[in-house]
Amino acid sequence: MPAARRVALAWLEREQVFKWLPFVPVQALLVFLLLPFVLLVYLSLVSWRITRGVWWHAPFVGAANFTVAVRDERFVWAVIRTFGFAAAAVPLELGLGFGLALLCRERFRGRRFYTTVFLLPMMIVPAVVGYDLSMLLIDQGPLNQILSLLAGRPVTVRWISDYRMAKAAIVGADVWQWTSLVFLIVLSGFAGLPPDPIRAARAMGASRWQIFRHIELPLLKPVLAIALVLRSMEALKIFDYPVLLTEGGPGNSTETIAVYLWRVGWDFTRVSDAAAMSLILMVVVVMYTVIAIHILRRERRQLAEEAAR
Amino acid sequence: MKRRWLVAFVRHAALLAWTAVTLIPVYWMLNTSFKHSGEWVTWPPHWVPEQPTLENYAQVLTPGSTIFDLGRQTLKVLKPLWDSLFTATASALVAVALGSALAYSWARFGTGGKNYPYSVLTIRMLPPIVIAVPFLVYYVSLHLLDTYTGLILVYIATSLPYVIWMMLAFIEDVPRELESAARVMGASRFRVLSSVVLPLTVSGLVATFLFVFILNWSELLLALTLTNTQVSTIPITLNKFQSVNEGRDYGPQAAIGAIATLPVVALGFLIQKHLVKGFSFGLLRK
Repeated sequence: MPAARRVALAWLEREQVFKWLPFVPVQALLVFLLLPFVLLVYLSLVSWRITRGVWWHAPFVGAANFTVAVRDERFVWAVIRTFGFAAAAVPLELGLGFGLALLCRERFRGRRFYTTVFLLPMMIVPAVVGYDLSMLLIDQGPLNQILSLLAGRPVTVRWISDYRMAKAAIVGADVWQWTSLVFLIVLSGFAGLPPDPIRAARAMGASRWQIFRHIELPLLKPVLAIALVLRSMEALKIFDYPVLLTEGGPGNSTETIAVYLWRVGWDFTRVSDAAAMSLILMVVVVMYTVIAIHILRRERRQLAEEAAR
Repeated sequence: MKRRWLVAFVRHAALLAWTAVTLIPVYWMLNTSFKHSGEWVTWPPHWVPEQPTLENYAQVLTPGSTIFDLGRQTLKVLKPLWDSLFTATASALVAVALGSALAYSWARFGTGGKNYPYSVLTIRMLPPIVIAVPFLVYYVSLHLLDTYTGLILVYIATSLPYVIWMMLAFIEDVPRELESAARVMGASRFRVLSSVVLPLTVSGLVATFLFVFILNWSELLLALTLTNTQVSTIPITLNKFQSVNEGRDYGPQAAIGAIATLPVVALGFLIQKHLVKGFSFGLLRK
């Protein structure tokens, strides 16, 4: 069958065919995974619980689920709290990651050791991080021991049972784990900086600070932008740390959107309410996404323009 | 001269501080995993096990042994370990293959329109909890619930945005002149891919593979929703363990954590060089 094979290959070779080859499976997959969204909308308009028969027999209730969702203080607080966690964790991660990358960018003795260590946290399963911290943070645990040593007197911070400290613990878990990703992104940015403009500036007598401020930082801006976008979109999904570290408590003080929706849908089996809340959340996320994508597109467009010049 | 010493001192002080922050939790997990139950919680905490033991690992790794009964469900570790390895590897392989082909096609032919990579990024922005409930219903009717295929399909989709964005950076680095030269000399498009583009983007493929492998290896929420007894990944095992024992069975848990961490970290160290190259997402001017 060599002739048939040659014909088939020649057909695949044509630009109009070749360029669509990867798109067909990807689009098929996306369509396959988009169907549940239709179901999501339907479920949000009927009144259905997992325990109550099959979903297509559930009575239509219109916007009632949305009214329930908006009036649900626990939901509103979960949304505010999740954005709060992201607002606390992401700047810390960016600051620490950038600072560490700055210190590790040039060659010195021990650099390899430090980079290896700093990349470690992002390779650990978040669920492992959650319960690892639950061991460290017990009232008579190693962290309180270290704090006592540093303070020179017995310190007992109630990390898990005090509602403020529990919040700090969740933010801490996220920072501990994801500073390493920001570190990697920025380090990779430093490694990819074009040497010519920097060399030229040095030849013209620019100080290290001037080079950093006026050449390297502007070049790195798009890289920092993507670190910000990636980290903030992941931080809004926080689920593993509260589940394994605090179980959303004490009270509801560490209950994030994901944790609360999980409870509404599975533990309370109010599937339709969960669907309505999910849709509200989607609107919020879409608004955020539009902003994030706008930032990224602007950065890439500027790059393209500069490259064309 | 004095100033240089000062700079070096400050640098190492800062870096050592973060090294301690990074390593103490990791060390504590390993430490606990080698302790007898009497040493799990003590005051003052033991930084070195007084009588090191492998019993936690033995308990967790013995084939067929069950750690506890959870109603009808029994919990094993070897099976989830295998399930995690299989789903994470399969989904990362497919996602890297599809995603990098897509990135190439977009970079060279503009397929899908100017904004395609951005619209794929929206998949990643959607919190998985939003689709968890309808997904369960959907998968039940497709008989995909609690299957490898079901989980792998979802993981491919959620990995694609990262693959496309990371690979774009590498593909844009491949000189087009090289590709057109090969074309002129009579190489087919597939030949150009395998002999020109592939060798030049290997480190990107490796870094991307590792990154999405880690993501899928660690994923908890979707796995919790879409699997039950037939398929069970490592994060789920940890979660069940935590909720049943109220987090008090520290030793075996630490052992599971160490086992879940080790393969990824080992892989990471092997390809560290590639990692540092792979994460600027095509956002640097050349």
